[in-house]
Amino acid sequence: MTSEYSPSELMAVAGSRELKDGQIVAVGLGLPVVASFLAKQTHAPNMTILFELGVVDPEPIDSGVGLADPRVWYRAKVLSSFVDILGTVLHKGRVDVGFLGGLEVDQFGNLNTTLVGDPRGKFKHMVGSGGANDIASCANKTVIIIRHEARKLKEAISFVTSPGYISGGSARADLNMRGGPERVITDKAIFGFHPETKRMQLLSIHPGNALEDVLNTMGFVPEMSGTIPFTEPPTQEQLRLIREQIDPTRMYMG
Amino acid sequence: MNKLSSLHDAVASIPPGSHVALPGFAIARCAMAFAHEVIRQGINHLTLSQCVGAMDADILVGAGMADRLIYGGGSLDRFGRLSGVNRGIETGTLAAEEYSSLSVTFRYLAGSLGLPFIPIRSLQGSDLLVNLQEKHPEDVATVTDPFTGEEWLALKPLLPDVAVAIVSAADSEGNAQINGPRWDNLEQARASKRTIVLAHEIISTEEIRKHPERNVIPGFLVSHVVHVPYAAHPCSLYQAYDYDADHIRLYAEAAQSPETMQTYLDAYVYGVPDHESYLAKLGGDELLKKIAADPLRGY
Repeated sequence: MTSEYSPSELMAVAGSRELKDGQIVAVGLGLPVVASFLAKQTHAPNMTILFELGVVDPEPIDSGVGLADPRVWYRAKVLSSFVDILGTVLHKGRVDVGFLGGLEVDQFGNLNTTLVGDPRGKFKHMVGSGGANDIASCANKTVIIIRHEARKLKEAISFVTSPGYISGGSARADLNMRGGPERVITDKAIFGFHPETKRMQLLSIHPGNALEDVLNTMGFVPEMSGTIPFTEPPTQEQLRLIREQIDPTRMYMG
Repeated sequence: MNKLSSLHDAVASIPPGSHVALPGFAIARCAMAFAHEVIRQGINHLTLSQCVGAMDADILVGAGMADRLIYGGGSLDRFGRLSGVNRGIETGTLAAEEYSSLSVTFRYLAGSLGLPFIPIRSLQGSDLLVNLQEKHPEDVATVTDPFTGEEWLALKPLLPDVAVAIVSAADSEGNAQINGPRWDNLEQARASKRTIVLAHEIISTEEIRKHPERNVIPGFLVSHVVHVPYAAHPCSLYQAYDYDADHIRLYAEAAQSPETMQTYLDAYVYGVPDHESYLAKLGGDELLKKIAADPLRGY
């Protein structure tokens, strides 16, 4: 096995590092699936994985085309409903970490999955919320996984489907909302959020990228303090699990 | 009471302009046979609702049967966007009231419990809420918690005229079993005035009594029971049949323009008298063999 790895593999590994043993995690399809199963097969064997439609702790052996694919429900411990999973678990406050993705994210971690263009003029309607707004509103923290491109990391976005820190500062807390985004993981860097301004703060840069590569390909200048370290690369074992067991057909890693 | 009915008669019981709660979730357990029959009978000006937009809503909107959609966003999973719904939103022919999945589910839940409103943590601080407050102030409001004085967002209950359920098995009274996850379907049935059940298999009431814990929709909620095998095709029914990827791709492609959508409808909806002929046109037994599910794996 080569020790080289793709940006997607590093993103999945970085996502898995955000998860702790014993936690309850709400997951959508794609990289978050790889991150969650990787965590479960390494440092977090007692973690519980939830899919919004009513699926608890599945052990799929085949890749699925989405959450509606019975392939990803295989060997679940519970098959129930939205009220059960998004209601009595998420809304109740039992979800420790929710994963989110999107078309674009702004400096305060607000996400758009609804439309591209001008909401009052010409626009293209996309997917909308699904359970994303609910996870963004009710999870005790969220982790955003998104490609690092200027058209995706923007100072302001055209539609807020899922709120992060809204207009920053205390805006989210003022609405009595719990949680909020804790990390934004891209294919070039990892961001946290500044404790006061709640703007994205650059925490680490993936090996092989320079600071300029990160800053020149995003639509705003993030908060930065001190020397920015490099992101820890994946281990051989993590790469082996991703390639051989979790996503052998590269359905989720692209 | 025996409520067994033909699909034609069950669909004909729905007046134009009704609010219909649809059972699909993206490409799972969609009411496709029902939607096709609604389109053939031309029952239009419908209001549709579901917590995740699915293929059943998309074909009804694409065929011009719906004026209004109350939903939580949706897609055909990896097969693409809901082109019928999205085109309606983009061109303004469809009045879409867009929520999150849980907020639509909570509106059904409030309806199912007979509550006047339901408080919710979702939607706050989003443009989904801004749009709803601007265009549908009758459905969203703030309430004060009488115990703590805290302000909450409150939603109005949804009370559909009829819910449609695609179920694994039912008896002639409408007592119904749904294998696998049920997303918002149980709250839909309980919030609605009545439910139409499309069952893959009809079983005896004696069989229902043997496993009452499997009965998730009690017969007293049900007005019509219709025996329609493969009613969700090209979508899946857990443990019975898998989704038909080839046909979903064909639909996803066709739904992208009004002209190709019309060609699809002419071939697979208007061009066949009923669901059996539709399945026969798509290969009959060969098709059924292709999509047969392994009951242990579920797909």
